[in-house]
Amino acid sequence: MLTAVKNQVRVCALSIKYNIMREMLNQVTFLMNVTFMILNNASILIQWFILFRLREEIGGYTMREIMVLWGLTAASFGLSHILFARVYSLPELIVSGKLDSYLVQPKSVLLGVMTSSTDVSAIGDLLYGVILLMVAGLSVRGFLFSLLFVVTGAVTLTAFALLLGSLAFWFVRVEMLSGQMVMGLVSFATYPDGIFRGISRFLLYFILPVGMVVYHPVHILVRFDGGMLFTVLVYACLLSAAAAAVFYRGLRRYASSSLMEARM
Amino acid sequence: MDRQEKPAGLNVGVLEKRWRLPGRKYRVIYRSVLMENLQYAANIALGFFGYFVFIFIFVKLWDYMYRSPGELIAGYSKEQMIWYVMMTEMMWFGSNASAVGRQVKTDIRGGNIAYLMNKPYHYTLYILAKYTGEWSIRLPMYAGLAAVIGTVMVGPVPGFRLITVPAMALCIVLGLTINAVFKICIGLLSFWIEDSSPFQWLYDKLLLVVGTVFPVEIFPKAWQSFFKLTPIYTVCYGPAKLIVDFQPEKCVEILAAQGLYLAAGCILMFSVYRKGVRKLYVNGG
Repeated sequence: MLTAVKNQVRVCALSIKYNIMREMLNQVTFLMNVTFMILNNASILIQWFILFRLREEIGGYTMREIMVLWGLTAASFGLSHILFARVYSLPELIVSGKLDSYLVQPKSVLLGVMTSSTDVSAIGDLLYGVILLMVAGLSVRGFLFSLLFVVTGAVTLTAFALLLGSLAFWFVRVEMLSGQMVMGLVSFATYPDGIFRGISRFLLYFILPVGMVVYHPVHILVRFDGGMLFTVLVYACLLSAAAAAVFYRGLRRYASSSLMEARM
Repeated sequence: MDRQEKPAGLNVGVLEKRWRLPGRKYRVIYRSVLMENLQYAANIALGFFGYFVFIFIFVKLWDYMYRSPGELIAGYSKEQMIWYVMMTEMMWFGSNASAVGRQVKTDIRGGNIAYLMNKPYHYTLYILAKYTGEWSIRLPMYAGLAAVIGTVMVGPVPGFRLITVPAMALCIVLGLTINAVFKICIGLLSFWIEDSSPFQWLYDKLLLVVGTVFPVEIFPKAWQSFFKLTPIYTVCYGPAKLIVDFQPEKCVEILAAQGLYLAAGCILMFSVYRKGVRKLYVNGG
């Protein structure tokens, strides 16, 4: 059992490694993608400098908390897109019947699909997020916790995308909707939760898991709360299990399109 | 008999055909893309969620920022500020301009440009006509949505007059065209570098942060004069400003700036394309 898990992890790690090596074939393009993504993300800080000229705090957040918020969001998004970029285009694979090549491989279908692609610009997102967390003035303990939240955030984000993407086994036009829901989650995650009240706040914590990806982690980093930490960890595990279950349930309905395709 | 009455060399039909032909082929491209997009109107409507999320966030943000009714920030009331963002986001979502840069990049990287450049049209104008056909369906749909969301969430635009709509519409059309021309220019950089996307990100982010999310007046005075020289002024700030606060002299100023920008952008686009195709290598396929 342990050997099987070890082998599975090894295969996934190799798959991710080769994805990145393939993207690095053209080094100029690779470096430009990473560098410009960092600059692209950094330009958003202008917006916050302008807003903080108008008010000292926004939704209970100062510039420091905004940097932590942005750091966690960018790094979680980056990590998820580096390791599991294919999850975000899963509906397209399902609808066009391109899962065949994954089904015949002697490894987990889900992990095989998830790790089959890398978004190179996401390396820029991850680096930017980590840099922001480093300069946000967190203590060493806080910084280590923030790295843990980057992982839980990436897991929750990936599981959410997988859950929505797997709906394509049942419904045809899920692709656009799932993409919009994920981008909606990311959009909300870059603004303080203090500006949302009432039903919208409820939606952000219980329907779109923005609260679990960033809001709870930011609150924990500002003021440690063991119960909240436990909730974030358990939520990431439960959502991942639910997403995997929905994927395998849907896979039973999958029909091949007899498309000739090879994975190398 | 009739033929003899016409002097030789002045065949009006032929002349008309010659003059009409260049515009006509782009009109045909435009019409065919328009008809194609009409079939996918339901798909376009699926994109409303993303627009709604953005607007919802900004309504909440400005609700928080404006603490007392009647307060002005950079000369804008809360209603004007929210309508400004709604209009710029409507142009952003309704035009889907990122598709233009992406198509140019894909055509050049994938080699499809080798086929397209030999067709009896100018490649860049073909892309422009195609893009115009796409937003001609999307934009009115998003405009309708923006009007409904705006009226429900913040009430009507203060001081809005129906008579000013044609001038606003012209400003929006010119703004979208200028944006597409610049995005094509950036996409054409793929002739030299393999992937022009990083430059598209920076251009988009500049438009988003400086002109879309905030009006230019919110920035420090020294920055404002600089921003007024950039495409931001003609692409997003100008049209949205006219919608929330229409002034005839401002309208003339923005239209004049748009005319200049469009002319300069087209010259740049044609020259970059001419230089780029000289560098083209076709690998076969």
